[in-house]
Amino acid sequence: MSVEFMFIGKRTPRKDAEAKVTGMLKYTYDLEVPGMLIGRIVRSPYAFADIRRIDVSEAVKMGAIVVTPSDIPQKPYNPRLVSINEVTFKDTYILTYKPRYLGEPVAAVAASSEELAQKAAECVKIEFEKIYKPILDPLEAIKPESPRIHEKIMKGDKWIEVENNIAARLDYDEGDVNRGFEEADVIVERTFKTGKRYHMQLEPKAVLVVLEPGGKLTIYTTTQTIHNTRILISQLFDIPESRINVIRVPIGGSFGSSIQTNYLVPIAVALALKAKKPVKIAYTREEDILDHSNFVFHFKIKIGAKKNGVFTAAEFINILDVGAHQVQPYPLLGTSLGWFISMYKWKNIRYRGIAVYTNKVPGCALRGYGAPEVQWAVETLVDEIAEELGIDPIDLRLKNYVGKGELFWGQGPTVKSIIKSDGVPELLLKGKEIIRWSERGHPSEKKGRFRRGIGVGRGFHTSGAGGPISGEVIDYTGCILKLNEDGTLDYITALQDHGGGTLDAHVKIIAEELGIPPELVNIATASTETTPYDVCTHASRGTYVGGECARRAAQIVKQKILEAAIRIIGRVVNPEALRIGYDKELKQAVVYVEGTDIKLTLAEIARTSWQRNWGTIGAFVSYRATSAPPSFTVYYVEVEVDTWTGKVKPIRVVAGVDVGTPINPDMVEGQLHGGFVMAWGMAFTENTAYDPLTGEIMGRGLITDYKIPTAADVPTPEEFTVIIAKTYEPTGPFGAKGLGEAAMNPAVAAILNAVYNAIGIRFYELPVTPDKIIEALKEKGELEW
Amino acid sequence: MKVKFILNGKPVELDVDPRETLIDTLRLRLKVKSVKRGCERGECGSCTVLINGNPVVSCILLTIQINGAEITTVEGLVGDILLEKLAKNFIDNGAIQCGFCTPGILLTAYAGIKQGKIKKSEDVKEYVNNLCRCTGYVKIIEAIAKTANEVWGHER
Repeated sequence: MSVEFMFIGKRTPRKDAEAKVTGMLKYTYDLEVPGMLIGRIVRSPYAFADIRRIDVSEAVKMGAIVVTPSDIPQKPYNPRLVSINEVTFKDTYILTYKPRYLGEPVAAVAASSEELAQKAAECVKIEFEKIYKPILDPLEAIKPESPRIHEKIMKGDKWIEVENNIAARLDYDEGDVNRGFEEADVIVERTFKTGKRYHMQLEPKAVLVVLEPGGKLTIYTTTQTIHNTRILISQLFDIPESRINVIRVPIGGSFGSSIQTNYLVPIAVALALKAKKPVKIAYTREEDILDHSNFVFHFKIKIGAKKNGVFTAAEFINILDVGAHQVQPYPLLGTSLGWFISMYKWKNIRYRGIAVYTNKVPGCALRGYGAPEVQWAVETLVDEIAEELGIDPIDLRLKNYVGKGELFWGQGPTVKSIIKSDGVPELLLKGKEIIRWSERGHPSEKKGRFRRGIGVGRGFHTSGAGGPISGEVIDYTGCILKLNEDGTLDYITALQDHGGGTLDAHVKIIAEELGIPPELVNIATASTETTPYDVCTHASRGTYVGGECARRAAQIVKQKILEAAIRIIGRVVNPEALRIGYDKELKQAVVYVEGTDIKLTLAEIARTSWQRNWGTIGAFVSYRATSAPPSFTVYYVEVEVDTWTGKVKPIRVVAGVDVGTPINPDMVEGQLHGGFVMAWGMAFTENTAYDPLTGEIMGRGLITDYKIPTAADVPTPEEFTVIIAKTYEPTGPFGAKGLGEAAMNPAVAAILNAVYNAIGIRFYELPVTPDKIIEALKEKGELEW
Repeated sequence: MKVKFILNGKPVELDVDPRETLIDTLRLRLKVKSVKRGCERGECGSCTVLINGNPVVSCILLTIQINGAEITTVEGLVGDILLEKLAKNFIDNGAIQCGFCTPGILLTAYAGIKQGKIKKSEDVKEYVNNLCRCTGYVKIIEAIAKTANEVWGHER
């Protein structure tokens, strides 16, 4: 389907670009208010311990404000409020006498400068009752003899016992798996393990809490959801929501690390309430690593297929290492299954998922919410099956993938939609030509020090977590759009722009719907008290859900503009006879009647409505999407393995994506570039390893020991090709779907399938560091030393 | 300790603690907020400033070490032709996402181009080692290489 658009699909500069290149844009850490105190957090030096006493006398003597668990409501909470209450497991305390990971906050101080606060924090003495050996391996943690990390937690409003350190579980069965495997000609079974990746968003988390006259709280923080932050603070401190205002502040990247309210927010609130002064806390990088990282995934997957390449059964065992506290891993058990089941038509399925506590930094979502991990495993297995059956891996994918007209599980068992747009065949076939798939050769033919290989990975992500039926996930948004008195518009939404240009996309959608230039639309500053509820800018829903909400608001505003125009013109009876468009001569938006000389500028209409007391032309929309469609991605990657050093270099990348209508091609490309490079880090370097004795992150959380790719590690721009499928999603705004996560998800699979094609070795544990490659080459007898 | 330097063309005279880092002097005392604190280990490059025209990370430098030097941040390059070219190419090319790394990368690229160390995209990959987590660097490399090409002419 091809539609001509005025603004959509065109490359347009982002509205915040100037503020960003001049360094004028203020992020949370840049904010200062008079009289503000700086807070510092006192953290547990042990991974698993009982505290007898916290002695704060020295710190108090220094003039610091100090809070300990005794000063704070001891209510268990879950920092992430995306699932409904009944399936939200609460086990976290703002400050605790029983730290369960090294670095867990046990007290906090505030003083007039960072230096004084740090000194005061160092003066807080913690006396321990008992120090336990940390449990770091989930397979160890589930043994009945292992000590319990948590004994009682809350599920919704009920207390539940935790047994064998299992935080949550989810099972699923479909068809007859045993018979499916009996029918199979080929069965492949593998175990996979991922690293514990850290988001490494450039801006460390920060918060500023201001007590307004009259006691109201204003909170500025690095968050993907101002509304859920407000709700959480309201619940924790028993303050009515109307007395808390959370302001949207530009954020320096996030990648899922602030879907939850970061731990420093309630701590800063507690300090500010006690000090009766504004309090700011900004993590150091090393503290930020102690605040959030990804889950560790342990998979065991078995797949059966017939000689003709039809799958007969799949079994998926998923053991999630969630760390010391739950940041909603229960829905991740559901999405892991959802990603798996929506990849290929397995026919018969058995799924066993458990989320297990360990004494590590609590795991949270990281771009893809399990999809990069699941798709890496599945796409590895599909390649292996193709090889066993002697079928081209691309043909096998085309034969079995879940596509148009079929049920897509998106974000787990309660978020299901029918696929209405599907660019998979186009992307697989076009990409195959560009990468020169047929010339890739077999690993056994490749010799010498430097060996090249080509691999493919196919996957997807949802666009949001909406759907026709209200499930376990909350997903709706809202916005306000109003015409100002001079014909410009204010667009008001709680959605956040993490950097991907989400709000700019909304502006273009509004402009397209109204037929006016995007320059007329202002992205208003936003806070919880001035915006309708939005759940969170996550799940690649910003453009698809938020954009459609904005389009609907624009549709209403357009209707009202036309009605006002009719009132002014007097002669036209039917609003449908009127058009809105940009007049190049007048250099402004006009309402006109085709074939006549009737023409009114938008400014005139706005001004007249104001001067004649007709009231504001505006719209308020609260919107839930009725679908959560997949955006498909296909990566073809060529790599070069240095068999002497074990280092891998990207040579060529073909990133194909089906986003429906691309709102801004520059931003689409930017997501794919960023997604690929993040996948490169996931494949080869990224992991926060833990000291098995102490439970401390090795390298003490310094990023000098956590390597993410640099410009030197990426392919040259000429060798990075982006293809955008020509599809149209009927449920999305002007045919658009989401992208942020789809942009990354199957890239790891493509990269490691390329490594296999180069050296004939498969790796099942991430990251695939040079030493693992060297070791594997040695084992294979390919290295002489 | 007394320290004197030029910040964005203006003389500055301060009495600082000898342990104070340049990033703290700039951000906390002089309110230069384009200099971002990303790691305080000299790893990420978000706090890059130009010292006598060379890109240096200000988080692992003591303020007393820069006595007599000339410090430039993006605030001081408003109206500078090369910086404006760079900024324009960043904007037109979609090389900006969250923007947290942008001022530091602009300064590194500015110095690299000005000193003739960046003339083509391979040079960017070698010279610009600031971290960015959003863009995958591709558009940044393109924008910088394009600017270098405008300044130095096409070279491959």
